[in-house]
Amino acid sequence: MSEITSCDGRDLRAMFSAATRSLERNAQSINTLNVFPVPDGDTGTNMLLTMRAAMEEASRCTDGSAATVAQAMAKGSLMGARGNSGVILSQIFRGLAKGLDGKHSFDGDDLAAALVESSALAYKGMSKPVEGTILTVIREVAAAAQTGNASHNGDLLAIMEVIVDEARASVARTPTLLPVLRQAGVVDAGGQGLYVVLDGALRCLRGEREEAETVPVEAAASISQGLAEDARYGYCTEFLLQGKDLNVEAARQKLITIGESVLVVGDESTIRAHLHTFDPGAALSYATSLGTLRQVKVENMDEQHRDFIVAQPQSSSAAISTITVASGEGLTEAFYSIGATIVVPGGETMNPSVQELLLAVESAPSDKVILLPNNPNILLAAGQVSALTQKKVEVVPTKTIPQGIAALLALNHDVDLEGNSAAMKKALSTVRSGEITTAVRSMELDGLSVKKGQAIAFLDRRLVIADGSMPQVILDLLAMMGVEEGGLITIYYGAGTESSEAEQIAELVQKKYPSQEVEVVAGGQPYYNCIVSVE
Amino acid sequence: MVVRVVTDSTSDIPSSVAQELRITIVPQYVCFSTKEYRDGIDLSTEDFYHRLASSPILPTTSATSPRDFHAAFTRLAEETDEIVSVNLSSRFGAAFNNALLAKDMIEKRCRIEVIDTRAGIMGQGLIVIAAAQSAQTGASLDEVVEVVHRIIPRAHVRITFDTLEYLRRGGRVGKAQALMGSLLKINPILGIKDGEAYPFAKVRGRAKAIDYLYDFVAGFSHISSLAVEHATTPDEAELLINRLDSLFPKERIYRSKVSPVVGAHVGPHVIAVSVVEGEH
Repeated sequence: MSEITSCDGRDLRAMFSAATRSLERNAQSINTLNVFPVPDGDTGTNMLLTMRAAMEEASRCTDGSAATVAQAMAKGSLMGARGNSGVILSQIFRGLAKGLDGKHSFDGDDLAAALVESSALAYKGMSKPVEGTILTVIREVAAAAQTGNASHNGDLLAIMEVIVDEARASVARTPTLLPVLRQAGVVDAGGQGLYVVLDGALRCLRGEREEAETVPVEAAASISQGLAEDARYGYCTEFLLQGKDLNVEAARQKLITIGESVLVVGDESTIRAHLHTFDPGAALSYATSLGTLRQVKVENMDEQHRDFIVAQPQSSSAAISTITVASGEGLTEAFYSIGATIVVPGGETMNPSVQELLLAVESAPSDKVILLPNNPNILLAAGQVSALTQKKVEVVPTKTIPQGIAALLALNHDVDLEGNSAAMKKALSTVRSGEITTAVRSMELDGLSVKKGQAIAFLDRRLVIADGSMPQVILDLLAMMGVEEGGLITIYYGAGTESSEAEQIAELVQKKYPSQEVEVVAGGQPYYNCIVSVE
Repeated sequence: MVVRVVTDSTSDIPSSVAQELRITIVPQYVCFSTKEYRDGIDLSTEDFYHRLASSPILPTTSATSPRDFHAAFTRLAEETDEIVSVNLSSRFGAAFNNALLAKDMIEKRCRIEVIDTRAGIMGQGLIVIAAAQSAQTGASLDEVVEVVHRIIPRAHVRITFDTLEYLRRGGRVGKAQALMGSLLKINPILGIKDGEAYPFAKVRGRAKAIDYLYDFVAGFSHISSLAVEHATTPDEAELLINRLDSLFPKERIYRSKVSPVVGAHVGPHVIAVSVVEGEH
């Protein structure tokens, strides 16, 4: 093996471009290293999209110095970071850039020193670092590079061999450090992703030929699929109907036969309705048979392809803007209707990137912004935004949709940003969140045995029921949620649940909890058949 | 001669308190279709809500006319030469202006001061009660007016109800417009700011709304007077009063009902607290 003592920016770019291609080939298998029986952040996809953003920025560098390329990778990865693993990867590149600052080329010594910076920054980025994850891998890799360096006199290739060997070993050890991995019988996905990246870089340095296969694009495809789903809804139709002796329930039943995502509210004299339908005419002519139509709005949803961000139509000039993350037409509209400035589409498997969140922050009409991520996998990306903008950004760490709604309702325009942030944090603790979905694989989690295809329930994001079928799961879940006298139970039903089924569930719930208010909302969210909240 | 105090029916002062403190309450009007009712006289809160539930036509409201104020002032001018009229916020209706018009029409030698409290419901009521109490101790008109002006900035109300429909249809929404159009069921918490309805908070669920009212009162370190009023839910109001007992002795909490005129704008299931903050 020939010695490769040092390399410059072009070599660095080539190494990590190869690493990105390696990640492309492995993203799918990394995605399956999932400790949860639900699609959860898709680590492989997130890391790949982050790497692509890094290399896209690096490819724009005309300067061939290592420092410039590393700097570009750090910037690109941060802007494109998705999911927690993506954000940590971006911190690793930031450390690399810091370590290589001012260097036209670098050797094994420099790399070893830079990785120490990477490790430190990666840990600093997490409020509660967890061992047995990508963090452990980067820390152990950095340590091995330091020790290995002593015996290799700065030889870059030799150091990279040490690094990759240690990464592989470190990943293999992750289940011994993190019980949840042990239970699920997998290694840490983020750690595995980092190993794949480092291994890809090493192979390039060795001059190995890459497998001549076309780039698999599952990752990109799954995202555009998510967007295309909306198209099947046709027209978003809304109207306000005024009349006498109107029957809200009857109107709802009728509109359900005409469209999807049906929402009907009101009383005997006024009904407000919303639905997605291919035939808005049928809905409107039914409505005119009942009374006088007011405020009719029909929008072609296929034409509404609005990038990733939908700005609120009546954007307020309020001093504080609120940006939140949700998927599902109903949840999105619910957030807008209670005053969200911008709802960034995303959630369980589509974590918005730092850049998407940043774009939303920049396009908000005020200089003070509150970010509500509504998902633990988006928390870290949200935390990166404030460093990238002149605006003042507060992240209220909402982990579920009901927490996001409770927090948003606590917004008070008479109070400053910090006061609002504190009030919202307090408000999110007043709601308990339950999520019901179908297990996508069989596994052990939180001491429960899950079988593929079963209805399972999470309480405050911990798996609590694994052997259920609807609607019993929802009743069992509520029993665990500590429903209080006079409290409010809200059921947000997902895209896969019929509204008639949701109404039946609500009836059962109301019967069991007669002194509570029960509200049913057409959330339209993917994955979760139902999200329930108790407050 | 004792200063006499006049107010409109939206001050929600219980009639027993009005009698005891010799407060003259001039009614505003509620109108179902073409039939007009004097607030609190022809139509009690109970009757009103009963009618509201059964009537296909929604009620409208109108302010006390200049003639009504003129009649009240003229009658009182027989007994006194100093009158103070403590009125509903001018942003909510014409009562204040009509009282001013009536004042100019009084021919008898009688000093009349007309004050815009920039408040309503028992927030206004507590101001009126303080004015009447000071009048009963023998204060002059100027002194009573001073008492009123000192209390106005310290009177606060928070009101909650179950539906925004009536508020929307009534049109007197002011900044509460921000609450409209929610796809989730919202319990609004309104107060009065700069004389008009202001959405101080929105919560989900009745229990949280009541908690908000309690917390609001608990936020004052000094309370000089306190009122709890409701429309159709006496048990709920009593529960709240019992909770508030730890903050302010419940024997001293005024219990009241929202007047039909207010009810027409907020609908059923109203519950409200009014506080006059103590001077430190």
